[in-house]
Amino acid sequence: MGKSSKDKRDLYYRKAKEQGYRARSAFKLLQLNDEFHFLDDPSLKRVVDLCAAPGSWSQVLSRKLFQDERATADRKIVAVDLQTMSPIDHVTTLQADITHPRTLARILELFGDQKADFVCSDGAPDVTGLHDLDEYVQQQLIMSALQLAACILKPGGTFVAKIFRGRDIDMLYSQMGYLFDRVTCAKPRSSRGTSLEAFIVCQQYNPPSGWQPRLDLDQSVQEFFQGCFRGSDSPDVGPWHETPRDIAPFMACGSLDSFDSDATYHGQDLQGDSDVPRRSLDPVQQPTNPPYKQALELKRKGKLTRAV
Amino acid sequence: MEYLAHYGPSLCVKFHGDLVYAANGPFLHCYNYHTGELKRRCRIFHRNKIHGICIGKDGGLLLYGGNSVLIADLQDVNERTCLMEREKSVNGWIISGEFSYSGDQVYLLTSYNKVIICDKFGRFMMNKSLREEKSILYSGSITVYSQDKVYINAGTVMGGILLWDLYAEKMVHNLKGHEGSIFFVTESADGRYVASCSDDRSIRLWDLRTGELLSVGWGHTARIWNLKFFDSGNRIVSVSEDCTCRVWEICQRGNNIDLIQQNIYEVHLTKNVWGVDVDSTGRKVVTTGNDGRIKITNLGDQLGTEEEQKCYTVEEIFDRTNVPLEKGEIIKGFEWFDFGLVAITSTGKIFLLSSTKDSWIYLTKNDKFSSYSITHGVPDENVIVFANNRGDLLLLKFSDDGERIVAKTEYHCSNLSKTTNCLIRKDSSSALLVLLESPNPRDHLVCLKFSLSTLTHLDTYHFTKPANFVSTCIDVHQNFLLIGSRFSTLAVYDLTATASMPYVIRNLNPGDTTTSIKHVEDQGSSSLFSVTNRDGYYNIIKVNLTQDASHRIIHSNKIVRGFLEGADFDDRGDFITFGFKSSLFYVYNETACYEVFSHICGGAHRQWKLSQDSKSYTLVYIKASDIYIKRFKKAATRETLFAGIHGREIRDITVQKHRKFNDGFLFCTASEDTTMKLMHIEPKSGRLTNYWTQRKHVSGLQRCQFINETLMISCSAREELFLWEIDAQAECSRPYMTLRQTLPTSSGNPDLRIMDFDVKFDSKGENFIMATVYSDSAIKLWLYNHKENSFSLILSGHYKTCCLLNVLLEVLRDQLYLITSPTDGHLVYYNISNQIPFKIDVDDNSLTFGDLKLCESELPEFDCKLQVHQSGIKTIDSVMKTNGDLVIFTGGDDNALGITVASVNKSTAKICARVADFQEKAAASTITSCNLICNATKLLTTSVDQTLRLWSVTEEKLVLIDSSYTTIADTGSSDCVSIDESTNLALVGGVGLSVVQLS
Repeated sequence: MGKSSKDKRDLYYRKAKEQGYRARSAFKLLQLNDEFHFLDDPSLKRVVDLCAAPGSWSQVLSRKLFQDERATADRKIVAVDLQTMSPIDHVTTLQADITHPRTLARILELFGDQKADFVCSDGAPDVTGLHDLDEYVQQQLIMSALQLAACILKPGGTFVAKIFRGRDIDMLYSQMGYLFDRVTCAKPRSSRGTSLEAFIVCQQYNPPSGWQPRLDLDQSVQEFFQGCFRGSDSPDVGPWHETPRDIAPFMACGSLDSFDSDATYHGQDLQGDSDVPRRSLDPVQQPTNPPYKQALELKRKGKLTRAV
Repeated sequence: MEYLAHYGPSLCVKFHGDLVYAANGPFLHCYNYHTGELKRRCRIFHRNKIHGICIGKDGGLLLYGGNSVLIADLQDVNERTCLMEREKSVNGWIISGEFSYSGDQVYLLTSYNKVIICDKFGRFMMNKSLREEKSILYSGSITVYSQDKVYINAGTVMGGILLWDLYAEKMVHNLKGHEGSIFFVTESADGRYVASCSDDRSIRLWDLRTGELLSVGWGHTARIWNLKFFDSGNRIVSVSEDCTCRVWEICQRGNNIDLIQQNIYEVHLTKNVWGVDVDSTGRKVVTTGNDGRIKITNLGDQLGTEEEQKCYTVEEIFDRTNVPLEKGEIIKGFEWFDFGLVAITSTGKIFLLSSTKDSWIYLTKNDKFSSYSITHGVPDENVIVFANNRGDLLLLKFSDDGERIVAKTEYHCSNLSKTTNCLIRKDSSSALLVLLESPNPRDHLVCLKFSLSTLTHLDTYHFTKPANFVSTCIDVHQNFLLIGSRFSTLAVYDLTATASMPYVIRNLNPGDTTTSIKHVEDQGSSSLFSVTNRDGYYNIIKVNLTQDASHRIIHSNKIVRGFLEGADFDDRGDFITFGFKSSLFYVYNETACYEVFSHICGGAHRQWKLSQDSKSYTLVYIKASDIYIKRFKKAATRETLFAGIHGREIRDITVQKHRKFNDGFLFCTASEDTTMKLMHIEPKSGRLTNYWTQRKHVSGLQRCQFINETLMISCSAREELFLWEIDAQAECSRPYMTLRQTLPTSSGNPDLRIMDFDVKFDSKGENFIMATVYSDSAIKLWLYNHKENSFSLILSGHYKTCCLLNVLLEVLRDQLYLITSPTDGHLVYYNISNQIPFKIDVDDNSLTFGDLKLCESELPEFDCKLQVHQSGIKTIDSVMKTNGDLVIFTGGDDNALGITVASVNKSTAKICARVADFQEKAAASTITSCNLICNATKLLTTSVDQTLRLWSVTEEKLVLIDSSYTTIADTGSSDCVSIDESTNLALVGGVGLSVVQLS
């Protein structure tokens, strides 16, 4: 989230800067919580934020879980990402691979070998524009997060992850149904209506009895969930068959009075709203270096042109 | 539901002899690329798109995509239209597939860097993998060197390239150096090189033996998706998100090996070229993209043994003809003919270049044409005309081989004291018209007529010159002479009535020079001309040349970028434009939207001429006093096997249902790519024809809708709303569309979107009122006055601050209601009857506009507001019941489908609305469009889960009766048209377009 961003039309972007959040996505978790109240549970102790960078969800977790000093004694938040993250109060950040068994071991160590109450992931891969591939990669990311969640969540625990509601989303709903008693598709008002983005809220972790989740580097995600999802123990190659699909109930989150991320707000709309100053604000977190930084430099120098 | 056709992203393509196999969603298409004929169309997979095609040595065919694979023979595709029952599912996403060396096994690389080996029947044999390297892949390839030497190139997300030996299951190299995810990696067939590309937008060439990085190629301005070695591993072709295809040469210079960019071809629209292949001769490249286009590009050396570019210095010309060069002598003019080039110098020396002999001949010298001369030619008549500024003309006619001068005329026009311009045009009667213009605005324009065979002077015409007129181009049609001028002006003269004043058309466009006028076709007693303007605009004007001359612009558009120097329809009816953009000269196929060729010539400020015959284009230009001749062979085969549609999402579709055109229907698509396409669909085959791509909008479109037989409206961000007029006459070869009016805007906010509109015509069907709803919650009502062609605001207000998504104008019991659906899931009803100055007829609900005293009023309080959905109502359709109740069908972001019934409470005169039915799980994802069909007894819905659902509507209840998966992702729009009593045709848009027949 830079100083000038394409997301300017979105008031959530300004609000995030104003309130010191590293990304506007903080409001998505806040609005999910407005509906599900999973962060308001006084017995909530151990929380894992996966694919956490730049850390706006960890910021929300930190503020929510540590707003009342009395209840915080044994509360712990661990944020994991492959990328580095600036420190956040009350959050232990791990730069690690969520699919690695060592990462699981380190989190468990931090939790004193006790299981987690809440696991979330707001991660999304870079999209290519091939919708089917992008949706597949996103589901694999969710599955990677779910692998770790399956190993670390206590029975009855909650898992929240970002989803794209594309052609195979009903397959994911069906798979989540094998692990959780309640699966909901939630769309916060801070997430644009034009975007495929939504969140899967899985409550009451209740894996099939007898299934033993175990992280192993030599095991693919499919192999991990064998014996858990119906249809997942399919052979390496077999005849085509329809996969089980299910539609999860939908829940719009955030009050109707909250800002509409699809709306256009004018300068005068913001006057008198003390929350939203009209001066330009510096970003909370500087933007990261994109992989194509050198290409951008060459383009700036006029080296990437039609002329050969 | 039966799918007639899918048009959309094509992810892979393969040459095979005279054939091109291209993926089209789950279909495999097979074209003969010489004829362009679609020979076969075979359904391969149930749901997945085909991502890869392999053809084995013995005609084996391997197709894969997602977790699906199909192993067959090419023969199967020839004989069958569907092979779906042989589809196999694989445990994992297939990144790449290949036949084994012997062809009896198949290797499938999956996204977790595991290779599944199966036999030709798809029976599993074994797995191979690299221990502890299960990192997820975006890309990979398999190189088969022998029965037991197979290399896997795995492109990871984080860890560079893992190059491993399949059977040894051992790492050969871990190639590191790229930034970001690897998007493609491949080996040259001879085992010398590895080439890769990544999110860093570079191409890297590696030594396969040592793993050493040899060279980095920069050039693409976005992500690169595919690479292919060709020319025995000496060249690479790359395709990218930046819509280009580039050829790279691997050059060895001493010990260094460099990757040098050789050529760039702009091949696809808007975004993403996915597939690429090179034919066995290494001269043709085929690419496929997100736009569904299948594009064939001829590489370099296009004239075979002939050199494609020649350059002669002035010194060289004089040297070769043994003529002494005078100080400061330069080339002043030239014309290209079949036999070669004729040029004149600044001292009046005329030279001829024979193209077959590559020899220069000195012809003659004429002192009258020293220092100032204008040169024009009629290439197909071998005639050249030189003019000076004193009214002298020299006309020469050459024999076909250019060896002899067969006719020569010198003519002096004494009517003008000075001539500053000379334009020529061959008229239909094999005579030549020469137009001379003096700088004096009071002088007449003089038009001379010469015989093209003997060059004898036949006639002289004098025309009155209009004010502010500087001629730039001419055309002749029948007995009319059309002269284009600067300031976007045009004058039409009658050659049979020279005394009469011309018919002048001024300010066709913002005001630059008219660069060309071409007769297109006749329509009744009118003639159509295409007129181009240097600033990029082009128009088709309909001119009635009878006594009371009149004209109408029936088509208007602007080219993508650059200067427009001319345009004409080619033999296929495609509109071809040419001109300059920065340092390039381009020829562009405007109908199919692709560049025919481009050439770096240094830009527009030079002397140049483009001539063409059936086989080639020749561009001659002067650069730094040297003369350059660049020839481009016209493709002998079709350059597009399918021209493609939009490169991005289609946001709305509207079919012209009021009348048919050419045994089918016209329709318009509005896309995220900011363009609209006017197309035609043949209802039996689902075949599409694209006529025009309109570029008036500058932001991604929201809606488009035909509102009557000729008018259409489109809207988008920046408060853009355009009223279009479509001229579709049965006698014409194509429809035309022009902008009729633009809606006034209220602010400069680029994000302020007009989300939807609805119109209601008056009882005469001419004037209409239009409701517009905005992303800032604004609601406006406008009156369109047909006679004045104007929009006037008559009502405005705001709902709240949230975005409004849809609007309807409906009359219920002689009251006019504006109904809108905001992102908060409500339906909000406003009674606007008292705010509008119209009468509403009680009997037929029609509006009567009397003598209007227009004033702008405030939006009243809403009458009724009812929550139907949890969040945004994305789509809305309605029907009036016979009892006067209004039934509204809504589809939402909440996956739900609702029926709301609204009626007017007789005692309170207020709207009462109730939700009659609500299907919570009507789709697995956002419902994006709905269409009532079959007299509102059925409802077709589309949703982002890529499923079309057909519902029956009985007693205000919805029952699902059919559903069908579509390969079109981001399914977002649809329109239906009834073909006959029992059949409807549905067009479904998203990233691509599906044509569905509903019986």
